Amino acid sequence: MSEATLLSVSDLCVELHSRRGSFRLTADELELNAREALVILGPNGSGKSTLVRTLAGLERPTAGRVESAATGPVTMVFQSPAPLAGSVAHNVRVAFLGKKLSGSERRARVTEALERFKIDHLAEHRAATLSGGELRRLALSRAFALRPAVLLLDEPFAGLDADGQAALSLDLRRAISDTGVAVAMVTHDLRRAMLLSDRIAVLIDGKLVQVGRRDDVLERPSTLEIARVVGMTNLVQGVVGEDRRGDLAVVEVDERHRVATPTAFTAGTRVWIGIRPEHLKLDIGRGEVDPIGKGIVREIVNDGVSVSVGVDWAGSELRTHLMAGRGLARTLELGAQVSLSANPEHVHLIPIRSTSQMA
Amino acid sequence: MNPPSIGLLVEITARTLAVCLPALAISLAIGLPIGIAIGGRRFAGRVPLVSLINTGMGAPPVVVGLVVFFALERNGPFGSWSLLYSPVAMVLAQVVIALPLVVGITLAAVGSLDEDWELQVRTLGVPKRWRLWLLVREIRLGLLAAVITALGGILSEVGAVMAVGGNLEGETRVLTTAILMYTQMGELEIALGLAVILVGLMLVLAGLLTAVQQSGRA
Amino acid sequence: MTHLRIFCSLVAASAVFACSDRVAEEEDLLLVTTTSVRDSGLLAELLPIFQERTGVRAQVVAVGSGAALRMGRDGNADVLLTHAPEGEKALVASGAAVSRVPFMENHFVIAGPPEDPAGVREASSPADAMRRIADSSARFVSRGDDSGTHRREVALLKEADLDPSGGWPGFLSSGAGMGQSLQIAGEKRTYILSDIGTFLAFQKRIELEVLSQPAPSLRNVYSVIRIDPAKLEPVRAERAEQFQAFLLDPEIQRQIAEFGRERFGRPLFRPLHLESRPQS
Repeated sequence: MSEATLLSVSDLCVELHSRRGSFRLTADELELNAREALVILGPNGSGKSTLVRTLAGLERPTAGRVESAATGPVTMVFQSPAPLAGSVAHNVRVAFLGKKLSGSERRARVTEALERFKIDHLAEHRAATLSGGELRRLALSRAFALRPAVLLLDEPFAGLDADGQAALSLDLRRAISDTGVAVAMVTHDLRRAMLLSDRIAVLIDGKLVQVGRRDDVLERPSTLEIARVVGMTNLVQGVVGEDRRGDLAVVEVDERHRVATPTAFTAGTRVWIGIRPEHLKLDIGRGEVDPIGKGIVREIVNDGVSVSVGVDWAGSELRTHLMAGRGLARTLELGAQVSLSANPEHVHLIPIRSTSQMA
Repeated sequence: MNPPSIGLLVEITARTLAVCLPALAISLAIGLPIGIAIGGRRFAGRVPLVSLINTGMGAPPVVVGLVVFFALERNGPFGSWSLLYSPVAMVLAQVVIALPLVVGITLAAVGSLDEDWELQVRTLGVPKRWRLWLLVREIRLGLLAAVITALGGILSEVGAVMAVGGNLEGETRVLTTAILMYTQMGELEIALGLAVILVGLMLVLAGLLTAVQQSGRA
Repeated sequence: MTHLRIFCSLVAASAVFACSDRVAEEEDLLLVTTTSVRDSGLLAELLPIFQERTGVRAQVVAVGSGAALRMGRDGNADVLLTHAPEGEKALVASGAAVSRVPFMENHFVIAGPPEDPAGVREASSPADAMRRIADSSARFVSRGDDSGTHRREVALLKEADLDPSGGWPGFLSSGAGMGQSLQIAGEKRTYILSDIGTFLAFQKRIELEVLSQPAPSLRNVYSVIRIDPAKLEPVRAERAEQFQAFLLDPEIQRQIAEFGRERFGRPLFRPLHLESRPQS
């Protein structure tokens, strides 16, 4: 455990038994460091909540251990925070029960925490009358009022509408950076994860399968399943070819569709080619850098902010996003032929090891 | 028969309270912790225990009186304490009547809380005794119901206190046994007067408790 | 288990409010009786015979004699069985009742703990016994419910120049029926005045002994009293007359003479009309 590590997990195994059956979570190694935000991603039922509850000390490991070097409080905000009877301010003050704090200190902290999440005007309202979003803000206020060293969040945006999620995630990010609290947060919302995370941990089927810096995990998922979880949705099978373009290897999908990327895989290796939608460029005409071939536009979904475009490329559908109302987004039509390109640095290869990874 | 003096009515009322209030206090002191302990936990044997409590909630007081009678009588297991036909015996019977009510209502109130309630409070680092305080605060409506139900149960109860108290003038004569006695003596006006006091007492106590509860609400 | 049964019935009886103005069915006779007669089981034996003979079903309300006389005065009864001679005579004198016929008797006893701390065994009379109990401040359970037995207590206390409401430190007023009062006396090891019938039923359980000698002032005479027919529907007045005659019937009188022998080894009551010798 390094000096900056606040929580660490080693060789962890948690087994839960309920009426609905048994569940098993394993994690070889996971650390939460000071001043960092770790986002735990995974499909439903992959064990995200169990992991964060174990970090909070609410579940007892069957094997392995959870060590804490945190000098301040470790606290958790639940997925469905239930308000306590009484006012909003009372709900925050509860955090001070049994702690030695002066009255003025308490008042100051309550005000600060409520202001942080913009619900100070509700201080004297009964907590039971708050909306879902306000309740979530109250739970976060209470957690921050504790001045925690480690904050564990289980789906902090669940049940909120898009605007609510966006507003709350910004307030949360500001609170995290203002206080320097270390955060481990469960979510299955990729956009919140990208906004809030320094590092990402991915769980699949109860197993911790990848942990790393945010961009490493987002751009270099180690398996097909992880790629899907982290939003690398453009996935096409290919074979590493003999040709090389300088430092780059050429991966062939078919005769007319090739992708250049730096790789250590030897020629003949069968791989999944993964390109994140935001890294796939789309153009009409010539002059493209790093071309990967042409495709036909099959789908255009415009939500007023961004335009999601589906392109048939080598028999697979690739997806990319354009800014609405600008440039190509204004003129693009279904059936149009477009040129696709991708920076070789943003093309990721995942070796195909077994049939189970067939798409 | 002359109508009883105001002094006698006051005396009977005072003794009724002197018996019922300690019985209520003891029932709450024992019943609330048990109800909270059972309500917040899952353990083997919980289901039969809860159904036993539910049975106790409906136990006919007169049967309770009979059981306490046999426990306390001269030849009974606790006969040497000479408690039968004393206020202590009445308190005991009333505790046996009220205890299942308090436990049952308390554990239902605890059970109605969110599943994660205890954990949520615990992760805030709230120490155990403060958690308990919060829990009581959280379920205070249910607890108020428990108090009123228990008080109603023991204040209006006659069969058990008659059996173990004996309606002794100046010692164990309480409102209900006095009402029964005057009814049987044909002194219906006096019985009615005492009944009015009993109902009034119940109204005042329930009103007080409700007022306390309302004022605690933010 | 006999005691258990007695206790249960006592508790049950006290739990049920005796309602004084209940309405009887057409074919009924409203019989208001003192509790000791009902509790002895005598009525349960006699009433079916009465119904067989006359077709009249008697409804029984058991209360203290004082309450019974009051119900009679107010016309809330058809016929009374009581054991409070002074009150009964007053009721007849007032015109509310037309006929009072003593039909059986037994006696009261002063019972107490075998060690007899007040020396009741040596008393020259029941009044003297009461005086000894009061003088030694011994504990005494009074019925205190204006029943026939309570009235007899008061009479004995008056005869002994004592305060009729007791007044000595050991005096306890139970305000309860005979059975429960005996139970209390047994539990607290006190003296008590009881009719012999109820005492015999509780004797084993309570471990008290009869300490008094038979005496005229302990005679316990039960009378059947008919209410002024002017206050009743004619058919009810007729049934009340039938019931009075029924109790005086030699066959029924013989049955009363035998009642209790089976259970207690001795009769509980002595009929007053076997040797055609109405008394009191």
